[in-house]
Amino acid sequence: MTMATDTADRPLAMPANDGGEVAAPPPRAHWLRRLLRDKAAAAAILLLALICLGAILAPWLAPYDPALNSRAVMKPPSFMKGGVPEHLLGTDGQGRDILSRLLYGSRLTLLIGLVAVGLGGAVGSFIGLLSAFYARLDPWVMRGIDILLSFPAILLGLALVAVMGQGIVPVIIALAVSSVPDCARIARGIAMGVMKQEFIEAGRAVGLSDVALFRRYLLRNCISSIMIFLSLRFGQIILIGATLSFLGLGAQPPAAELGMMAAQGREYLLFAPHIAVIPSVLIFLIVLTANVAGDALRDVLDPRLQT
Amino acid sequence: MTTPPLLEVEKLTKHFPVGGGLFRGPKGAVQAVTDVSFSLKPGETLAIVGESGCGKSTTGRALLRLLEPTSGRVVLNGEEITGLAPSQLRAARRHMQMIFQDPFGSLNPRMTVRETLLEPVLLHEVASGERATKWVETLLTTVGLSAHHADRYPHEFSGGQRQRICIARALSTRPRLIVCDEAVSALDVSVQAQIVNLLQDLQREFGMAYVFISHDLSVVRHIADRVAVMYLGRIVEEAPVEEIFARPRHPYTRMLLEAAPKPEPGQARREGAAQGDTPSALKPPSGCAFHPRCPLASEVCKTTRPGDTVIGAARVACHHIEAATERTSIERPWPPALAARLKVLAEARARG
Ligand SMILES: Nc1ncnc2c1ncn2[C@@H]1O[C@H](COP(=O)(O)OP(=O)(O)OP(=O)(O)O)[C@@H](O)[C@H]1O
Ligand code: SF4
Ligand SMILES: [Mg+2]
Repeated sequence: MTMATDTADRPLAMPANDGGEVAAPPPRAHWLRRLLRDKAAAAAILLLALICLGAILAPWLAPYDPALNSRAVMKPPSFMKGGVPEHLLGTDGQGRDILSRLLYGSRLTLLIGLVAVGLGGAVGSFIGLLSAFYARLDPWVMRGIDILLSFPAILLGLALVAVMGQGIVPVIIALAVSSVPDCARIARGIAMGVMKQEFIEAGRAVGLSDVALFRRYLLRNCISSIMIFLSLRFGQIILIGATLSFLGLGAQPPAAELGMMAAQGREYLLFAPHIAVIPSVLIFLIVLTANVAGDALRDVLDPRLQT
Repeated sequence: MTTPPLLEVEKLTKHFPVGGGLFRGPKGAVQAVTDVSFSLKPGETLAIVGESGCGKSTTGRALLRLLEPTSGRVVLNGEEITGLAPSQLRAARRHMQMIFQDPFGSLNPRMTVRETLLEPVLLHEVASGERATKWVETLLTTVGLSAHHADRYPHEFSGGQRQRICIARALSTRPRLIVCDEAVSALDVSVQAQIVNLLQDLQREFGMAYVFISHDLSVVRHIADRVAVMYLGRIVEEAPVEEIFARPRHPYTRMLLEAAPKPEPGQARREGAAQGDTPSALKPPSGCAFHPRCPLASEVCKTTRPGDTVIGAARVACHHIEAATERTSIERPWPPALAARLKVLAEARARG
């Protein structure tokens, strides 16, 4: 073989010789730097990170056992009138330390959300990608998704609890199942865009199998957009999860879970409002920061997803 | 003359069903390609020309079975491509590759150049291990890039460079046939010339045949051995390149040649509109599909589809070939834009 004899030393390798075309795209600031330039996003990400850190380190950070009753019931936070220095955020109706319960509670709440969004996201995305990959499947898959969409998560949760009994597992399943159709639809939309691109056909022309094409060409080009969507979805899941446990469907006492804590505080709303307000504020903060962070991440990484 | 053909395409047809839904059957069909036949010798270049939407790309894709043909036969090197099972077809792709129009869209943005080139090499067991790596570097230098480009991603390259990567990918399995679908149309004129020259050099070196799809007659004149002119899904004239440019026999071929070359693909449509709209491939006109726009059309043209007439090396589907040929027997000067383009290409050639 006499490859690369006269062609190799021909001076056309560099962009300058390729005419007046655009060379590499203009250097864009690193996405992380662009993300943090947005003050609100930076604050949200910092706060969310702190909450997550607190949840992870709960066993080491919590000053008390979250299930430990005491005689100091309904104490307001220490910085308020009537507060005691031993309980920074006060105590609940059974004299349990609210700070400790908050740390453990966010742990469970975040875990439920994470597992649900992971399961639902994985299943939903796979269905969506498959539906975009095999055009023949698509009309059937879309019908199925429409049917699934008509079950609200709360009803699904109630039904599952009726069948499986109370606990975290049916709630996680209900949350996961309820995010499947949305994830499938979004993943399908993202994948449809990728499937239209010529490199998919180029991969086929090279002789790739469907599996290789799906993994190396489709999935690799969709995964970051899907992750961004899931990060947005996370906030919603947390909220629905908290609602379910507020209704008494999820975690069972004496375990701590934010939605359940808010529900228990309801009884004391008039004389010790902090018991319900504090966990509610934390839920609100988690949902808010997750949404702001997800939005900012999307804007920076994948403007296509904007609706 | 006696070399057996490398590629034989017989009555290749691709109709796209349209309308219909989940439970209803299709309402009609876009007759994108109908009864296209041609053959190609090893190392030969057949250009397919015609205005936008006439079925050039569909022909290229159907003959590689990137689209499943509705009917017809494709035989490559004695192997009937149209009869292969999916796994056999994937294996057969080693011998037939494709270069696409859009150098920005036809490379996987998440794969480095090395991954992109290694993929077919490993898949078809062209080489393995150390030798595969070496082969990738050889490919890069062959197409005018260098080995240090291997670990970059496609977005780091210019259009011309990307098209070189695509060429390297098509070349990587040492195919016998490469279908180039508007392979240079998206590039700058000067870059076009370089890529056309590269394709010619590679053909000389490796002897593969090209099906070169293009709407750009100056490029076609430069690279093709033979030219097939398509109109509404059918080949209306096929002849050696000098023949078709000197003595276009089909009225449509003449219309194409008379229209000045357009640098942008989109403009072909407007040109067509000026001389009568292109009828829809969904419902092609009766008889000769060209009759609504043809200056020579007669009654018979409206009712009967003309068969192929062989004149020397040319093949023409028209009822009134004599009249048509007469009208163009005087050699007319090239439109200035076409002449200018040809000059650029010739100069680039001389330099290369
Ligand atoms: N997937 C499809 N479904 C339905 N119709 C199609 C499909 N692909 C192509 N067509 C139709 O088939 C006809 C031929 O299209 P094709 O892309 O082969 O044309 P072309 O000659 O390559 O045009 P261009 O120069 O614009 O690339 C057109 O009328 C087009 O609208
Ligand atoms: S067959 Fe008739 S209508 Fe068709 S190209 Fe020839 S002369 Fe024109
Ligand atoms: Mg085309």
